[in-house]
Amino acid sequence: MSEKISIYRFMSAGCNGCDVQILECLVPRYKLAELGVEVVFTPEEANVLATTGGINVKGREELKKAYEKLKPPKLVVAVGNCAITKEIFDKGYPMVGPPDQIIPVNFYISGCPPRPQAIVTAIAKALGATLEEKEDYWATPEGFRGKHEFDSEKCMGCSACAQVCSSDAIDVLEDNGKRIIKVDYGHCSFCAFCQDECPTEAIKLTQEYHLLTDNRSTTNVTNEVDLFKCSSCGTYFIPVPQVDWALERIGNEVSEYKDFHSDLKTAIEVCLNCRREIRNIRNAKKLLAQLSAKVRAV
Amino acid sequence: MPKIVQIGPYRPQLVEPERFELVVENNKIIDVNIELGYVHRGIEKLFTTKTYMQNLALAERICGICSGVHTLCYAQTAEGVLDATVPNRARYLRCIYTELERLHSHYLWFGVLAHSLHEHEAFLKIMGEREQVQDLLEYLTGNRMNYLINTIGGVRRDITPEKAEKIRKVLNNMKPLPSYILSLLDDNGAFTKKTKGVGILPKEKALAVGAVGPTLRGSGIKSDVRKDDPYAAYGELDFEVVTEEDGDVRAKSLVRARENFESVKIIEQALDNLPSGEIAVKLGKPLEKEEVGRAEAPRGELVYYIKSNGTNIPERVKVRTPSFANDFALIEMLRGDMLQNARVIIESIDPCFACTDRVAVVDTKTSKKRRMILK
Ligand code: SF4
Ligand code: SF4
Repeated sequence: MSEKISIYRFMSAGCNGCDVQILECLVPRYKLAELGVEVVFTPEEANVLATTGGINVKGREELKKAYEKLKPPKLVVAVGNCAITKEIFDKGYPMVGPPDQIIPVNFYISGCPPRPQAIVTAIAKALGATLEEKEDYWATPEGFRGKHEFDSEKCMGCSACAQVCSSDAIDVLEDNGKRIIKVDYGHCSFCAFCQDECPTEAIKLTQEYHLLTDNRSTTNVTNEVDLFKCSSCGTYFIPVPQVDWALERIGNEVSEYKDFHSDLKTAIEVCLNCRREIRNIRNAKKLLAQLSAKVRAV
Repeated sequence: MPKIVQIGPYRPQLVEPERFELVVENNKIIDVNIELGYVHRGIEKLFTTKTYMQNLALAERICGICSGVHTLCYAQTAEGVLDATVPNRARYLRCIYTELERLHSHYLWFGVLAHSLHEHEAFLKIMGEREQVQDLLEYLTGNRMNYLINTIGGVRRDITPEKAEKIRKVLNNMKPLPSYILSLLDDNGAFTKKTKGVGILPKEKALAVGAVGPTLRGSGIKSDVRKDDPYAAYGELDFEVVTEEDGDVRAKSLVRARENFESVKIIEQALDNLPSGEIAVKLGKPLEKEEVGRAEAPRGELVYYIKSNGTNIPERVKVRTPSFANDFALIEMLRGDMLQNARVIIESIDPCFACTDRVAVVDTKTSKKRRMILK
């Protein structure tokens, strides 16, 4: 794209963090002006629409109107996870969708919020330009909460991360003897609760922050583990590594249990349903015994 | 013949797209209507679908700019429900993080003010310098905004001696900025001319409409949750509650400008007196009870209410944000002032960048809309 870029900001139902990041891009150190980019105040003057936040019932028509007024080539950039998936507000009752359900969206910049560095670089990329990221502030500091990474050696597929996730960003899928832990970092608030909760330190938020894509379905990081078959009924029910982990932990906590390792293993290898049935059989037997004892007493 | 001037809703504004309807006669604002809801996300309902811990991330996303104080106020309230006592070190750390946030928020507000007053140089200088605070927050917490540094029962990251050194260094480097901002509000300062005598909120009105924060203190009322109902370590730190008498936009700006010095003072003291020990405690089960908590956000008093039914998901969470309280003050401030001051008055309670966008003028006689740009 060779013509000048004029950006109109459409801030909708988000926390406005993303909007502030766009504003911060105007600071000279990010060199936005050098790229020939300006921020304008009416959609009529703009050829690029930067939308932040999800869209609620009140915003839907306004977004459509703004899009219609845009000059060609009418590029739309969704800045931040709210504008990609509605993120933590996904299930909010007034929300009608991320912008791409209402107007066409060309680029997505993931983050909550994305750093100004990420936004500027994304714009440069769209322009076919490259920015020299020389200064210190382009790098992220240690401890930065960016895109996730799995250590597939360590991840046992227990799904503890999915349970504590603040934003429903982690799906646990099961298919054909496999369990897939799927983090949608486009739906993520980067709270790092998953990292804190993981019992084996297998999921980490890395320092990677350049998260531009033109394809919404690519904002994922996944890990796959094999599932274990119930020794009684044959259905898949627990990840293989989790069985080993549980046994090891039990052994470490109560050393006497080590002697019963194989008994414990046999017990763990039975799925919950079967275990319930076994318990039911036992209970039924007990009940029968009690009843017959009563009958005899009478 | 009065006409109606509409501002918004989608001016690229910071806190919330709102729609203002100003009834104007001879360029004088005679009445104001505010329409909210453009950023409504159903947060209070969402609070009742997540656990106490998950809700930290939701609370901070009510407002990205003062995200830290939202998690703080929410955590403090939830600590009542979860019967947690925050360790001393964490109480001090909370003050450090909160005041860093107040600095970035106030600087942002001044940047926005500069922008709306067409003081381009001041805008670039303030926003440029402010980046150092953002870098620092990112270095300390892992994110520039939505830091999620407070947790129920303490804080999530410690400040090591190395980090403390870095904080001092940045604050030292930035020492000239608060003074520079103050000079813009001098008798001959660049900000003074367009803010003095504008958008006056008299003391009685400020109290009557329930204004909070710098909006209230700019009308001469000494009220600050940090002093009136101390939380974290504020009761043990020495700082002043800044007030100004005039009640105009300049007074509110002066309050914020002088508060910057106080924030620096608080951070330095907290670093000097940082107790040793744990930074968070383990949590027990939620009790069945109600709790109310409050904290001083950069824009004023923030209130959280939590009702617990003993499960790990709250039954009800209610939030009263400072900007909501100040919207009523805004009506008072706009009424009677001139149309050309509307923008700076609106911004005086509530940061908003370049609300130069759509303003539709409705002729009440013909109901025909004309568009104009409010600069
Ligand atoms: S993506 Fe995050 S920072 Fe951006 S608007 Fe949404 S909640 Fe705020
Ligand atoms: S960081 Fe982890 S826990 Fe937090 S929202 Fe993202 S995926 Fe969920």
